[in-house]
Amino acid sequence: MSSPMHQDKRVDQAAVTDESLMAAHEKLIGKQPDEKAHYKLAPLALLFLFSGLIFFGGTYLGRFSGHFHPKVYNEYAMPPKAGEVAAAPAVDPIVLGKAVYAQVCASCHQPNGMGLPPAFPPLAASEWVASEERAIRIVLYGLEGPIKVKGVDYNGVMPAAGPGSGFNLSPEKIAAVLTYIRQEWGNTSGPVTAAKVAEIKGKEGNRAAMKVAELEKLP
Amino acid sequence: MKNGPVFFFGLLAAVGISWGGIVLGSHYQLGSLAPYYDDTQGNAFPLRPQGVASRGQLVYADLGCASCHTQQVRRPGFGADQARGWGERQSVARDYIFQAKPQLGVARLGPDLMNYGGRIEKEKGPAAADAIYQFLYAGSAAHPAYKFLFDDKAIDGQRSTKALAASPAGRQIVPSERAQTLVAYLLNSNTTYDYPEARPFTVAAKKEEAKK
Amino acid sequence: MTNVPTHAASAEVTPTDTHARGPLLLLIGSGLLWLVISGVLALITAIQLRTPGFMADCAWLTHGRAQALRESTFIYGWLANAGLAVALWVLGRLGGSPLRGLNWAVIGTLFWNTALAVGLVGIATGDMSGFAFLQLPRYVLPAMAIAYAAIAVPGVLAWIGRRNDTTFAAQWYAVAALFILPWILAAAQLVLLWLPVRGVVQAIAATWYAQAAWTLWLAPLALAGAYFVVPKTAGKLMPNYDFASLGFWTLMFLGAWTGGRHLIGGPVPAWIATMAVMAGSMLIFHYLVVFLNLRIATGSSGEAAKYIRFGLLAYILVGVLELYTSFRSAALGVQFTFLAVALEQLALYGAVSMLFFGAIHFLVPRITSRPWASAGLAAGHRVLVSIGIVVLLVALCAAGSTQAGLLADAKVSFGEITQRIGLPLLGVISAYLLLLAANLLLLVNFLQTALAFSGPSVQPQTLFRQPAALEGSAT
Repeated sequence: MSSPMHQDKRVDQAAVTDESLMAAHEKLIGKQPDEKAHYKLAPLALLFLFSGLIFFGGTYLGRFSGHFHPKVYNEYAMPPKAGEVAAAPAVDPIVLGKAVYAQVCASCHQPNGMGLPPAFPPLAASEWVASEERAIRIVLYGLEGPIKVKGVDYNGVMPAAGPGSGFNLSPEKIAAVLTYIRQEWGNTSGPVTAAKVAEIKGKEGNRAAMKVAELEKLP
Repeated sequence: MKNGPVFFFGLLAAVGISWGGIVLGSHYQLGSLAPYYDDTQGNAFPLRPQGVASRGQLVYADLGCASCHTQQVRRPGFGADQARGWGERQSVARDYIFQAKPQLGVARLGPDLMNYGGRIEKEKGPAAADAIYQFLYAGSAAHPAYKFLFDDKAIDGQRSTKALAASPAGRQIVPSERAQTLVAYLLNSNTTYDYPEARPFTVAAKKEEAKK
Repeated sequence: MTNVPTHAASAEVTPTDTHARGPLLLLIGSGLLWLVISGVLALITAIQLRTPGFMADCAWLTHGRAQALRESTFIYGWLANAGLAVALWVLGRLGGSPLRGLNWAVIGTLFWNTALAVGLVGIATGDMSGFAFLQLPRYVLPAMAIAYAAIAVPGVLAWIGRRNDTTFAAQWYAVAALFILPWILAAAQLVLLWLPVRGVVQAIAATWYAQAAWTLWLAPLALAGAYFVVPKTAGKLMPNYDFASLGFWTLMFLGAWTGGRHLIGGPVPAWIATMAVMAGSMLIFHYLVVFLNLRIATGSSGEAAKYIRFGLLAYILVGVLELYTSFRSAALGVQFTFLAVALEQLALYGAVSMLFFGAIHFLVPRITSRPWASAGLAAGHRVLVSIGIVVLLVALCAAGSTQAGLLADAKVSFGEITQRIGLPLLGVISAYLLLLAANLLLLVNFLQTALAFSGPSVQPQTLFRQPAALEGSAT
């Protein structure tokens, strides 16, 4: 290339016209084998590299996408299987029972389990709580009429809390709340299982509130 | 390339596919994410923030707090997020569903604020709000003071109940309404509930599962 | 067939250039003005990083807002105006006839810049949207999308009415950038500001927009200039040009998918970050093609070529680093630190801006028919801006790596981190000072060139070197 007539640094010189630039490059496109039917190596290498990159990207995506599941945050994890979702982690009945007690029971029986005479009897050290059969029925169906607890007479109405009632507690929640009550405030009775609650519910069906007389027939 | 319409629709497809895949795809997956109802606690999480806290998020956004503070805790192994006490679990999409403008943030020139409210309440108790006001008013070596969020005025009759405890004698420094919403928002930032999808995934747990 | 034009020199002064003088100078001038304003704001934010109390009492310039103002003036002020000027000019040149519909461009430019100014006042007074790359308040964004489309009208008309049936790589990139910004701006503001999507989907959509704006708008604008100016100044055929279109479509189809790297470890599903690795690794092909095509830039001479060599190197580096930081292990150290800022500045300043500077240096004497007013100012700008960018990147990397190391140690407090990165931040401040000085030189040089109504006009011969037969270099 010959030296320009006078180099002016303030202007960038062009070496080709627009027309020849476009025309010459257009001719490069689609030029497959050259005149001697030789394939150039570079295009093949580039295509090979491109497929390699696609392969790498696809493999990586397949391996670390968590199956595109919206709840998979760790790229090594896999989405939960259908069965796993139902199997909720085991809940501590004491924790659940305490929460249910606070929501459902505490307004009458008080957070400290001491009740509120003359209508609401205490649960702490109550002989009624110690009996599993009686306690479950009271929670399931409620209680009407006078009742003597720890030698004191109470008279109030306890609403039903079991399935189908206003509170609609499941057998699991009833079992939990009873388990909680039966080990709190000095009570020392054993835990109550949801199966036992469900069994009594099955035996008694849907019925009106319990009476003290009926309960006294039970162990 | 000589074919104009093909070129045009190629561009449209290129943009449209990426928009559809990333934006619409994630909207389809996460856009209708529901709160998680916990039977044990008898409540759905996350809790809906109070209106004043929601307005505070807009103040947080328009001051550009997100240019220095993030609001996302990453899982263990991703930096020292949990070691610094920013949260006990990683943040998940469900944490943000009630937020009008989630402020995930881009830089950490200051601490993460995902659980700031819970943190400062544990530390300061009922004085937490006053501590935040004081910090916003005075700043620190690493944090600017936002004096424009406060009104410094003479005590005219009764001293305002909201005035900072550290106001100079004879004057009262009262947080503006914007400052109050901002602090309500900050105090509200606490995500303690442990969603199933937020539990850490460990290789050991996976192997155990494979054995079963 | 030989394509050596007999009147090469006069062919270099085309009616396109003189005809489009006013609108293009308006675009470039407003771009440079915004660049200087953005430089002042960058200086303020950098000082605030080191001394948080700096201008903290001023609600308008509190750090978060100053940061948003700096970013918006840089992207929508400088890059948009300058990039549009380059794209329109390239399309006019290669279309072969004078640009039509230039009134649209002038009106569009006025509206674009007015809307931007209104939006900046909005940010300063508390209407900031809070999304990176899209901080402007929503009430100016529809106007900006329409104004951009109006500025693009002459370019699109030149593309549709081009005289040659053939097309050239520079045209593809320019047309793509003209079409795509209004689309992505409309799509992003719809789901972010008008009918906001829920929760973290906003963050995902914002990342999509930021990445699309970089890969589908700014990078194509920069490449449009480079694909034109590099072969023009080098006088050689671009090697492996037959792959240019594949490289172009790779960028178009995959570019916007690579944004997930900003959300690594965040509250978004794993596939979003994984997708970024997939797209990023395939995108390497695009960067490779650009490198192979434009490597003839090493042989070209002149000021413009020097800018462009710097810009291309930065561009290729961005591609590699974006892929590298898409991997979770690498992202750990980059995320939330100044290293991420460094990568963004490498892209926006090192690559796009330098390529624009090069293209502008090439085109201004042609549209004004006058050489640059001062060779000294031009060279001064190039040297200062190159040093400024290098110092900026080095300082940001130093600050970022210190910060990344200290953040990972739970015992180090933020006060201590701020203290430990004080020295590198001083480097950042001096880099922004250098850049501001450099860009002032360019603005002065530009104004002297554009506003000199009398003075030496360019002789056609000086615009053209002894033409080489382009075909000669084909084999």
